[in-house]
Amino acid sequence: MLGASPVEAYRLIVAGALGQPERVAFVLSAWAPLLLAAAGLLVTFAAGLWNIGVEGQVLLGAVFATGALRALGHLLPPPGAVLLAGLAAVLGGSLWALLAGALRAYGNVNEIFGGLGLNFIAGSLTVYLVLGPWARPGIASTSGTLPFAPSLWLPTIPVPPLEVPGEVFLGIAAMGAVSVALRGTYFGLHLAAIGRSLRAAHLRGIPTTREMLRAFAACGGLAGLAGFVLVTGAHSRHQLFPLISGGDGFLAILVVLLAGRSALACILISGAFAAISMGSLQLPLAMQLDSSMGGVIQSLLVLCAILLRGLRARLVSREG
Amino acid sequence: MWRISAWAIAAALGAVLAAPAPPAPGAGAGLVFGVVLVGPRNDHGWSEAHFIAGQYAEKKVPGARMVYVDNVNPAAKPGVTVPQIVDDMVSKGARLVLTTSDDFKDGTLEAARMHPQLPIINVSGDHAWKAGRDYKAPPNESNFMGRMEYMKMVAGCAAALTTRTGKLGYLGPLVNDETRRLADSAYLGARYCWATYLRKSPASLRFKVTWIGFWFNIPGQTLDPTKVADDFYNTGFDVVISGIDTTEALVEANKLARAGKRVWAVPYDFKGACREAPAVCLGVPYFNWGPAYVKAITLVRDGAYKQYWDWNGPDWKNINDPDTSAVGFERGPALSAAASARLDGLIRGMGAGSIVLWKGPLRLQDGSLYLRAGQVASDQQVWYMPQLLQGMEGPSK
Amino acid sequence: MRVELRDIHKSFGPVRANDGVSLTADAGTIHGILGENGAGKSTLMKVLAGILQPDRGEILLDGAPVRISSPAAAIRLGIGMLQQDPLDFPSLSVLDNFLLGSPGGLVLDRRRARDALRRLGARFAFALDPDARGEDLTVGERQQLEILRLLRLGVRVLILDEPTTAISASQRGQLFAALRAMAADGKVVFFVSHKLEEVQELCDAVTVLRRGRVAGEAAMPAETGRLVQLMFGQEPPRVTRARLPLGPPVLELADVTASDARLTLEHVSLQVRAGEVVGLAGLEGSGQRLFLHACAGLAPVTRGRVRIAGRDLTGRSYAQFLAAGGAYLPAGRLGEGLIPGLTLTEHAALAGRHGTLFVDWRAAARAAARHIGELHIRGTPRTDVQALSGGNQQRALLALLPDHVSVLLMEHPTRGLDLESAEEIWRRLLDRRARGTAIVFSSSDLDELLARSDRILVFSGGRVAGPLDAREATVERLGELIGGKGV
Repeated sequence: MLGASPVEAYRLIVAGALGQPERVAFVLSAWAPLLLAAAGLLVTFAAGLWNIGVEGQVLLGAVFATGALRALGHLLPPPGAVLLAGLAAVLGGSLWALLAGALRAYGNVNEIFGGLGLNFIAGSLTVYLVLGPWARPGIASTSGTLPFAPSLWLPTIPVPPLEVPGEVFLGIAAMGAVSVALRGTYFGLHLAAIGRSLRAAHLRGIPTTREMLRAFAACGGLAGLAGFVLVTGAHSRHQLFPLISGGDGFLAILVVLLAGRSALACILISGAFAAISMGSLQLPLAMQLDSSMGGVIQSLLVLCAILLRGLRARLVSREG
Repeated sequence: MWRISAWAIAAALGAVLAAPAPPAPGAGAGLVFGVVLVGPRNDHGWSEAHFIAGQYAEKKVPGARMVYVDNVNPAAKPGVTVPQIVDDMVSKGARLVLTTSDDFKDGTLEAARMHPQLPIINVSGDHAWKAGRDYKAPPNESNFMGRMEYMKMVAGCAAALTTRTGKLGYLGPLVNDETRRLADSAYLGARYCWATYLRKSPASLRFKVTWIGFWFNIPGQTLDPTKVADDFYNTGFDVVISGIDTTEALVEANKLARAGKRVWAVPYDFKGACREAPAVCLGVPYFNWGPAYVKAITLVRDGAYKQYWDWNGPDWKNINDPDTSAVGFERGPALSAAASARLDGLIRGMGAGSIVLWKGPLRLQDGSLYLRAGQVASDQQVWYMPQLLQGMEGPSK
Repeated sequence: MRVELRDIHKSFGPVRANDGVSLTADAGTIHGILGENGAGKSTLMKVLAGILQPDRGEILLDGAPVRISSPAAAIRLGIGMLQQDPLDFPSLSVLDNFLLGSPGGLVLDRRRARDALRRLGARFAFALDPDARGEDLTVGERQQLEILRLLRLGVRVLILDEPTTAISASQRGQLFAALRAMAADGKVVFFVSHKLEEVQELCDAVTVLRRGRVAGEAAMPAETGRLVQLMFGQEPPRVTRARLPLGPPVLELADVTASDARLTLEHVSLQVRAGEVVGLAGLEGSGQRLFLHACAGLAPVTRGRVRIAGRDLTGRSYAQFLAAGGAYLPAGRLGEGLIPGLTLTEHAALAGRHGTLFVDWRAAARAAARHIGELHIRGTPRTDVQALSGGNQQRALLALLPDHVSVLLMEHPTRGLDLESAEEIWRRLLDRRARGTAIVFSSSDLDELLARSDRILVFSGGRVAGPLDAREATVERLGELIGGKGV
């Protein structure tokens, strides 16, 4: 692989991700937004909806969280401001998702196209805010807004030998809550029915439009929380900047597709993705390889997974 | 079935990640220094100049070895922060880290606080300037910068001496103190040569600045510099001075020149930039970071490192001396001999102190007084440049 | 040429599409093949055209047995079949489509083909522009082109499968005239249809298929009632039913007009009382489904009023229909009625709504087990409904109905079920009826309609006749109404 041993590259990535407690902490903080977005997507996927707009929902969450912190950061005690920023992010992501949902439910716009359009708008809005109303004094740069003070960062929680970023617990809790909701509640059952057959679900008397909008709102809320974590997370940049979502939403779609709707598999796969993206920073440092090789390696894994699945499907169908 | 294969994938990934970690990097005999680059290391611009300085320092300081991460920006490396990279470099044995972008200012401060024992230098920042307005760096953080203002004046002069339309375009990156003062310097140089050598009225010189939003093109996030340069050339601006890290202005000028248009460009940052399109290149004001790198590495090696803030000027004896001059101007093939001779005059005058362009009377864009008649700007006044100057077009923020 | 089919058998899995079909068609005749959807008409014709191979049986042309292994072989023997929407190469010109498959050397003789197209077209009054692009033609024009192409290939037996479904009335007139001209030339035309009037108008003889067998043959003209009887079966022995005392009206339609993408029902009025059974007769797609949807709030009512159990639900949603005590069991048992991929327990959970956040899975599993026991469903609470047979799916759907239903709307309650299952489904339904549920059901089985209904509405192309008193209705009368006469 470009004159370097792939095994060595893997070893470097592994060491880069897990070699030291600090690195594990970085991986964990990259993992949290992925977990949150994937948890949200489990909800929409259960209803058979392709919420491609998740990327924009993450952005809106980041925008709302930043707006709330800017407005409240010096009015309220920090924990209160951070809490409200989290709620604002949930609200922002939900509203953005509901827009995609409403376009689908009432405007007959497929959620894929609606979502793509809304992603673009969310990106433009972020650029506008960073360059315009929220620019740093005297500066117009897309490099970001003024960073927030450490008192407004999410805390780390010591779990020796690690300092676990607080947002990880948020991610795990979200995954758990989604898992329980999908298995145990009428909402989850309704989504399963809608995902299997929208028509039959409707004729069974399920309020399909309402439940789909709720699914969008739930997914958007969790995606918004991912945006919140990207702004306030213990190891984030603590500011709003264009591209802050960094493709986490799209990556989460991949995670959920690979995990096949299993929350536990989502947790493991998203963890692996986070580890690869952090670990691959080692490639230029140690092997003079461009760190985008991390992306190549990730893609190779995904490709293998898809091939594996195709192979299994073929075997199964032959047996049947 | 879905579930089973998902588990298989998860297990495979787990197996990879559970593989034994390689031994920690041995603390080698030499001195490892880390360089964090905002763009690609071969961008023919800002980042490449730093990369070359790192290689220069490896040659000049025995035992010095560079580790680097390039493309550290949210488009190329989403989710990666400066503290994370600094952490990685430290674990690779780095005893000094240079973060080479204004964009890394906040991240550098955070990293410096996380690693109080690590000498860490943000190039172009002012957090370590005790006399500055934003002094807040911990003792281990330093800054250095080159006095590019002089070379931008030379660039502006070269442009003014070449233009046939009297319209100069300035391709600006984002807007901040640094970029304002550099654009202003180019304007001052252009105006001086326009009035002094060509004996034309300063009012007849147009100088327009367009900011793209970042140091280089990020599709969808910044204006497209290619398009901005094209717009300049197509509306009668026949020389474009670039203030961004990459060479779009030069490339576009070359394209249009081949199509028969008489246009020129002045690139920025990197000594070899003219090589990309010699026929339209008037010359390039560039940073020569090598000596500053050598200084920092030597200080750390000798245990003499203390916080410092350097604003390194040119070596007026030879502004292109790689071992002594922090900034330089490499003339391009498109510069006429007559213009070149006049540049010599300007450089000589500035070196001797007989030509001082940061001198009153100067007014800011909004008409307010910047320098009284005869007043020479202090370092603070230049560094914290609040606006574009009167006579320039384009937004000041 | 005389065409004989002898004892043709063709099965698809367990379905016997043709179960010993024999018929004879003489040269110079138009032979109708009549039957309800799924009677086996298309299968039989595809066997003759070489598209399908029969499991058993033989085909004789002018008394000589032949083997027709492919459509090309059929063409060589002089047999051609016109598809419902024929067009092989939409981007080619009319002339090039016409040329396709013609015998001859490598060089296309366009000029001669152009002449032939003009000559043949003139003979049947088909006005086709040789240079138009195929995809710009109407379905009727494509049919004309295909007929000309088949004739040029020397076809002497022409098969048309439901050719009038997508063409205009004037094109239909042209087509029928052309077919008569071909018969006068001595060719054999097979005309497959489920439309009685067309067969009566066009054909010289008719073979009626029912459930894969020949139900009868008739020379034309034949009485409509006789044909309907052949299509739908013998008049059943009358079931003497105790007349139940009827309750208050639970479904009232007053001058209702409703439409969907295909049909419009106009000025329909009906009052159904608790404990009454109303059957909806008609060929498939004549408006029965639209009628039921209009009652259930699934199709927009543009005029008139709909009342369910005394509540005015005009323009209200399906959810309000359900809330008023209505229920609708659609024809698609899986994918409309039941949700494929969910288990019986999950369906039971969906059916029992308690207004709580969490599902009580134990109660749902108990309910599913109860349904299985009571209705003899072959499965377990954890069985995916996709794994159930049709009868078990229908039983599951009945089990999932709420305890109290004021109006039950049903499509084809027993279609595809064996006699025993069908009988059991009706026992359940009549149980409900005895408890005061009004039942409105559509069926294509006249026996079932006559035996189970109190009154019958007859649908024909969106027009509604009746209601008839089922005790006085006869198969002949129904047949006439279904065929569109006397409405």
